[in-house]
Amino acid sequence: MGSYLRYLSENSTELIFYAQQHFLLVGYSVGLASVISLALALVLHTNQLTPPSWRRSLRVGGRETSLLLASAALTIPSLALFGILQPLLGLGVTPSIVALTLYGIYPVLRNTLAGLSSVDPAVLEAARGVGMGPVRRMLRVQLPLAWPVIMSGIRVAVLIVISIAVVAAIINGPGFGKPLQDGLARLGAVNSFNEVITGTLGCLVVAAGYEIVFVVVRRLTTPRGLRV
Amino acid sequence: MSETVQSPIDSTHRSGQRPMIALEGVSKTYPKQSKPAVAELNLQVPEGAIVTLIGPSGCGKTTILKMMNRLIEPTTGRILLAGEDVTDVNADQLRRRIGYVIQQVGLFPHLTIGDNIAVVPKMLGWDKRRVTSRVDELLHLVGMEPDDFRDRYPRQLSGGQQQRVGVARGLAADPPVMLMDEPFGAIDPITRERLQDEFLEVQRQVAKTICFVTHDLSEAVKLGDRIAVFAARGRLAQYDTPSEVLAHPADDFVTEFVGSGAAVRRLSLLEISRLELEEIVISGARAAGQDHPVLSVDGAGHPSTWQHVPGSDQPPALVTVPLSGTVYDAVDVMLDRRAPVVVVVDDDGLPRGALRWETLVADLRTKGQPR
Repeated sequence: MGSYLRYLSENSTELIFYAQQHFLLVGYSVGLASVISLALALVLHTNQLTPPSWRRSLRVGGRETSLLLASAALTIPSLALFGILQPLLGLGVTPSIVALTLYGIYPVLRNTLAGLSSVDPAVLEAARGVGMGPVRRMLRVQLPLAWPVIMSGIRVAVLIVISIAVVAAIINGPGFGKPLQDGLARLGAVNSFNEVITGTLGCLVVAAGYEIVFVVVRRLTTPRGLRV
Repeated sequence: MSETVQSPIDSTHRSGQRPMIALEGVSKTYPKQSKPAVAELNLQVPEGAIVTLIGPSGCGKTTILKMMNRLIEPTTGRILLAGEDVTDVNADQLRRRIGYVIQQVGLFPHLTIGDNIAVVPKMLGWDKRRVTSRVDELLHLVGMEPDDFRDRYPRQLSGGQQQRVGVARGLAADPPVMLMDEPFGAIDPITRERLQDEFLEVQRQVAKTICFVTHDLSEAVKLGDRIAVFAARGRLAQYDTPSEVLAHPADDFVTEFVGSGAAVRRLSLLEISRLELEEIVISGARAAGQDHPVLSVDGAGHPSTWQHVPGSDQPPALVTVPLSGTVYDAVDVMLDRRAPVVVVVDDDGLPRGALRWETLVADLRTKGQPR
């Protein structure tokens, strides 16, 4: 225990740097995943370009297809995905973010679609009846009402991506993956076990950081009428 | 009931009355269905009138209502709003000119009551001060204190209060036309009755042209200046004043739909003030073999007891009904108090005449034209 604390204090600069990297890596990936999922869901719901008779089938078809693809992406073993992306995108940050974004899409997309379709049809009919167009209806009514559900999807994505992010170390990605993998590779050597513990605990610290962020964001963005 | 709309179907012959809403040869066939839900419907709603649309489930009355603001696009035909063909104008802009109230209310749960009401005025670009004063005015109109309710959220309101806000939202931009789809259908009977009365009171002040879908005949009779009775496939079986529909159903379908209670329902349309009442003799002038009932009054002239009622040995209990009531009210108290005769009193409580059970059953004479 004492030696571990000494290890922490001796390497504190490096560890704080890992924590920052890990936090940002997760933030960028989930952020990108959220933007992609939201854009996809909004386009499917507010689409006015196609003939009216297509819209329903296009929306349902688009929803099922995108969910299928996103869930397929989530099932690819993370080790393999990083390996596959390496020849295409090289090493380092870019392929790490791309891979983690792919993993983040499914939970966000799933909750976004569920949240949007859980809005009371009577409320949407009233919105139509008072003369709101599809875009206004989405931005003023449907999206605010679905927001708490979408937020919880983003939160799940963050938790998943935090733990998968350590695998990014195999392609020289940033974050706590590096001490973890270093430690595992030289298990038995000096400080190797401390590195493994640090990588693991580091993920928990990052997760705790995000929990705080979510409490604040939820407080600020949930419409008052929806707070229980 | 308002006196403005009495004439049957042909609305054009009344002076100053043009149809506010006109449907011309409107049909709706839903996709993948061979038979139309509504076929070749012609309907004219005169300005300032409440028209209740009634019919059995699935007769297309809601479809007809929703075609008026094009929530459902008609397959063929024309829709005219105040003479303007609106069949092809921008549907969203059209709907901002038409109030819309639905059974499930559909208030926006994330907006305050004030913001819910302000939705349409804001879309129309009203300035802030005008929107605020309009919201307060409407909350007053529907009997809710603005300071108490403006900043609350829909979930903090009861069902009846929510529907009041729903009506206020429909009225917000002062549209000439209101479409209401069973607005009081999901509300308990007592509250519903009160909302109906308030609604009539509001209509007296705002004088909108209103189309009101209901499946409740009493509601249709109570609220409608006219009733449009629909049969299957949106066939307009009869379009007339409530008393005409009840007294002279146009065909077997309407007869069956109006049902066996028609005669009783008609009583609620007949105001006592329209009847020729039986003369009452105030006591002191009593003579033997009196033909008229004799009443004793107190110092203020208010009735106190019956002295004598022709045809009964024992004078019955004294029961009064107001002159402003309907025959339905009179029958109700007669049955309730087991009184074969009631005294009709005016607003000051002074006796104006008597109404007898035998007269009700035998032959009701009204003053002037029957409704």
